[in-house]
Amino acid sequence: MTSLNSSHEHTKTRLLSLDDLIPATVRSETDGYTSDLPRILQPRRPTPVRTLLRIVLVLISGVLLGISTAYVAIERERPFLAVTIGPWSAYPKAGTPEADPYSVAIYTRSARIPMAPGEGLTMTARTDSAGYSLDPACTYRIAGATPTARLWTLTANNRYGRLFETTAERHGINSSQILYKENGDFVIYASSQPHSGNWLPLAPDPASVDGMMLTFRLYDAPITTSSALTNATMPDIVQVGCS
Amino acid sequence: MSLSSGAKWVLSLLSIASLAIIVHILVILSIPQNATHRAYEAVALYGPDRQFNTLPEVRAGSEPLPALDPAMKHAACRFQLADGPVLFHASIPAPFWSIGVFNASGEAIYSLNNRTVGSDVLSMLLISPEQLSILRENPPEDLEDLIVIEQPIKDGFALLRAFVPSHYKSTEIETALSSAYCGWLDEASEI
Repeated sequence: MTSLNSSHEHTKTRLLSLDDLIPATVRSETDGYTSDLPRILQPRRPTPVRTLLRIVLVLISGVLLGISTAYVAIERERPFLAVTIGPWSAYPKAGTPEADPYSVAIYTRSARIPMAPGEGLTMTARTDSAGYSLDPACTYRIAGATPTARLWTLTANNRYGRLFETTAERHGINSSQILYKENGDFVIYASSQPHSGNWLPLAPDPASVDGMMLTFRLYDAPITTSSALTNATMPDIVQVGCS
Repeated sequence: MSLSSGAKWVLSLLSIASLAIIVHILVILSIPQNATHRAYEAVALYGPDRQFNTLPEVRAGSEPLPALDPAMKHAACRFQLADGPVLFHASIPAPFWSIGVFNASGEAIYSLNNRTVGSDVLSMLLISPEQLSILRENPPEDLEDLIVIEQPIKDGFALLRAFVPSHYKSTEIETALSSAYCGWLDEASEI
């Protein structure tokens, strides 16, 4: 408080430009700061304005950094505790009382209703098996088998998980519609052009779709615990070509 | 008292980092309390509380709620448990259906599907521990046949999902969903 006052008076004297009126010797006595002592022994001049500025800057940048990192963590919409099988990832704990605070925040903020453990499990893929981001302009071959489930559906979404208009009248493909190989495996082609065999229709105008992710929903699947998930197999996603 | 400018910088950066961590944690933890467009609010758009309201078809550009399966038909029922126990009753002619009960922040409290129910008919009672102790003094006749879920939750909603295997089954499942019951225990005897 006292240092603040002294600086205030100091600026006042400067404003009145008394410096010009008072001789230099008198000024040094009234000021009390200047002396003939070596620089190291001189009392450090308190800099209240600079200290205050520093504190304000620290507060503002700390708060901004905290808010922006939280925003980024939530906007990515990818909870941290994922179980991954190849390109597929699942968040078995999301939407349950054991969920981590990030997935709770992501799910409540987006008004998303999670798949409850007794209903099934959702697995999403944002990349192909080679690790490249999925592109709605490309054709993908999705081949292999899923973990045991009474029913599964496969849907193509944009990067925000929203559906897009497809070439066909439907938005996905499910386990009751497809043809299987003799060993129970299946091959699905995800493409904007009609494809023989099992076809997952994509957008007729790929440029209008923002990114792509594939969503596998396994209904009534016994593997809802993460330990069982790590040994499970999921289909591979291989890029066949791009238009 | 007086610090070198290097020490001042280190101190400033440390305080920025620790403040940022505290703010980050507070923001993440406060989102569920402050979110205004939670699923609990979104479900209310499709009809009054304490009854199953069928959600519109899940189609591109008109998804009733995010991340719903387009292969399914959905019905949702919102409730406040403090008003009384909630009885769910449904009979859905679909090869697969499931029901999930969620609290207001969207956490799954209880869930089952038609295989775990063991029959084609769902009869489920959601009740708070206090309400259950009152109900036990004068139990209704069919209490034995009900799946009783004792949960100390306040507000919540239930979501019924029914798989539509083909177009011609669509109207039948739609009718079953719209006639599914979600409501008061004492009114249920009339149906």
